[in-house]
Amino acid sequence: MPLTYPRLITWCIALLLMVPIVVGLISTILPAFHYFPPLNEQQLSFAPWVELFSQGEFYASLKLTLITGIGAPIVSLWLAFSLLAWGYQRPFFRKIEALLSPILAIPHAAIAIGLLFLLSPSGWLIRLFSPWLTGFDRPPNWISVQDPYGLSLLLALTVKEMPYLLFVMLATMKSIKAQESLEVGQALGYSRLTLWRKVLIPQLYPLVRLPIFIVVAFSLTVVDLALVIGPNTPSTLAVTLLRWFNDPDFSMRFMASAGAVFLMLCVLLVIVGWELSHLLTRHLTRSGRSNGKRKGITDNLLRLGAGVGVLTLLSGFVALLLLPIWSLTRRWRFPDSLPSQWTWSNLDRAAPLLLELTTNTLVIALFSTLFACAVSLIMLETKRHSLASRHQTTNNHLFDWLIYVPILLPQVGFLFDLHVLLIYLNLNGDLSAIIALHFMYVLPYVYLTLKSPYLAFNEGYLQQANRLCYRPWRNYLHIKIAMLKPALLTAFAIGFSVSIAQYLPTLIAGEGRYSTLTTEAVAQAASGDRKQVGSMAMLQALFPILVFWFAQFIPSRWTRWRLAIQKWRI
Amino acid sequence: MLVVKNFCLSLNEKRLIQQVNFRIDKGHVLSLMGPSGIGKSSLLHFLSGTLHHSLTATGEVFLDGNPIHDKPTPLRKVGLLQQMPLLFPHMSILENLLFAISGDLKPVERLQTAQQALEKLGIPDKANALPDELSGGQQARVALLRTLLSKPDYLLLDEPFSKLDPALRRDVRAFVLAEIRQANIPALLVTHDTDDAKAMQGDCLELESSPSFSTST
Repeated sequence: MPLTYPRLITWCIALLLMVPIVVGLISTILPAFHYFPPLNEQQLSFAPWVELFSQGEFYASLKLTLITGIGAPIVSLWLAFSLLAWGYQRPFFRKIEALLSPILAIPHAAIAIGLLFLLSPSGWLIRLFSPWLTGFDRPPNWISVQDPYGLSLLLALTVKEMPYLLFVMLATMKSIKAQESLEVGQALGYSRLTLWRKVLIPQLYPLVRLPIFIVVAFSLTVVDLALVIGPNTPSTLAVTLLRWFNDPDFSMRFMASAGAVFLMLCVLLVIVGWELSHLLTRHLTRSGRSNGKRKGITDNLLRLGAGVGVLTLLSGFVALLLLPIWSLTRRWRFPDSLPSQWTWSNLDRAAPLLLELTTNTLVIALFSTLFACAVSLIMLETKRHSLASRHQTTNNHLFDWLIYVPILLPQVGFLFDLHVLLIYLNLNGDLSAIIALHFMYVLPYVYLTLKSPYLAFNEGYLQQANRLCYRPWRNYLHIKIAMLKPALLTAFAIGFSVSIAQYLPTLIAGEGRYSTLTTEAVAQAASGDRKQVGSMAMLQALFPILVFWFAQFIPSRWTRWRLAIQKWRI
Repeated sequence: MLVVKNFCLSLNEKRLIQQVNFRIDKGHVLSLMGPSGIGKSSLLHFLSGTLHHSLTATGEVFLDGNPIHDKPTPLRKVGLLQQMPLLFPHMSILENLLFAISGDLKPVERLQTAQQALEKLGIPDKANALPDELSGGQQARVALLRTLLSKPDYLLLDEPFSKLDPALRRDVRAFVLAEIRQANIPALLVTHDTDDAKAMQGDCLELESSPSFSTST
């Protein structure tokens, strides 16, 4: 991109990214100390904290948050490592790899709703074994979802996070020369799983550290998933805070803000604790790695993890299949394992609503993602400039850490206080405000997906093009962008699915004036109208899958199609 | 005619090339040889106006008596051919050739010019093929013709034969020389291979890293 002032542009974009973060942070922290000018409260005090720590609900919620927020990343990481160690480069593992990207693309609310359909007392799993095995003629009185320990939430988090970690790990396998290490180690007589334990996992961990932190932050702060499948009364801390923020009594806001600051500290502390326990584990296992034993009992931990991992993936997949089944169901009595009567009328009846929700969802996703793609391209171009001009070999560019801040900060709290800014700007409830907030969460993923292919592009092509025919902007589009089409479309697909999955940004910026498939599906998940909820969740899952499929299918065929059409025209 | 006077190159105060002078007549190829790292490619970059700013170069370049060393790259009308043919992989061979032909011509004339080039290459049937369907030798030839179709005033060749297998090299060399003679422009070839230099039937300039070059001044 023939940019004229790359440094100036770098700073402008950095400022653009920093303003909402700083404003959001400051306006979360100040109310936590009882400073909130809109309510005429300007006396700094610790009262909100005292109030927060005197709430019994706070401690119960915090306990649940810590169980699910620490448990889910640990289980996800264990399962991801196990599956990889067990299946890497085996033929049938490729099929599992192919299943990963649809599960990744699907909004987590849709997966949670599908799991609800699968695991609830009247869910498909019990129907499958009733009455012939269990003897149930009616749904049992169990609490298998929304259980008070948060186990179903933990499972839902794992179903969503494990494929993500696996996906990230698969992408880094080349850089640690896994294949070669396995060959060398097996020639020395080591068993496959032991090699993973002693050689590959220790190399892999530092490379996937950042995605793990993202997963930890997500698990501790997630709202929509916890609303659908998490425990209530008490619920997780993020959901409790959401309720306090939404309380008609505005003075609850102070305590809620203090809670939001506490949640932020929680994320920080858990990540620090995670790193410390990693150091400890590394220290403890260090001598074991070179003890020369070719096999070990701990190998079984990986073997078990692989089995559980396959089950988890499978349950995620079945959960997804249940969404379209429910949306087409007319009559489905309890112990039957499939509906006895099918119909289009659920979709038909809900068509006006679904159409409106779908339009909102797609408009928001399209604009926020296109905008994010454009900004990512400009950011990467300035990064390329600075890499080329300064002989820099380190990757410590301003954007590379700034970009992670929005994903690591808890949405609840941060967004509510950004909402105050929107009110000042008179943008509250406006479609542009929703798109702007979505953009903030889409941008990091688009930027990170696009980064390595963009920086790896051979500039020689563009330079040669400009020597042959000097039209810098045209050549940038027709040569560089056209050659980066596959990466751009993948980044677009990822951004698109991130936008479709957003719950709180839509809810807070839209003030209920704009609903999307996600906000409506989450709101109605508890209603028990499975046919309608199923339809929404199905549509919610459908669009990301379609876009992902296009992104995979089109670029490899584009040039052939274009040439075929042109030949036909001549 | 391309004339280079008093060319010096240094990296971080360390002199790499000292006082090089040469001239190349139209339709002739000057071969430039020397050990790796001495700055042969940097001389090409200096001539094309794309020298990396960590390097400092001084000297004058004249094309047909006009100084060009102060001009920015787009105004120099320079053709550069590298090891990689750099054919655009998402464009057909015909489109790759058309890309280089001036837009001032009528569309029909542009198409005719490109088709003549394809016939000269002996692959008129490959017009709609993609670059990766061609052999390495064919790609190298297409790349040369594409560069010449942009009507450069002088041509720089940066080891364009090194990636080809030996059997092909002789044919491609002869093709390149014939085309340069026909285009009647001065060309500078950087190479490691003495056979390349011989095949170009022109002068050969050998850069040596003598101790006096490597001492800093």
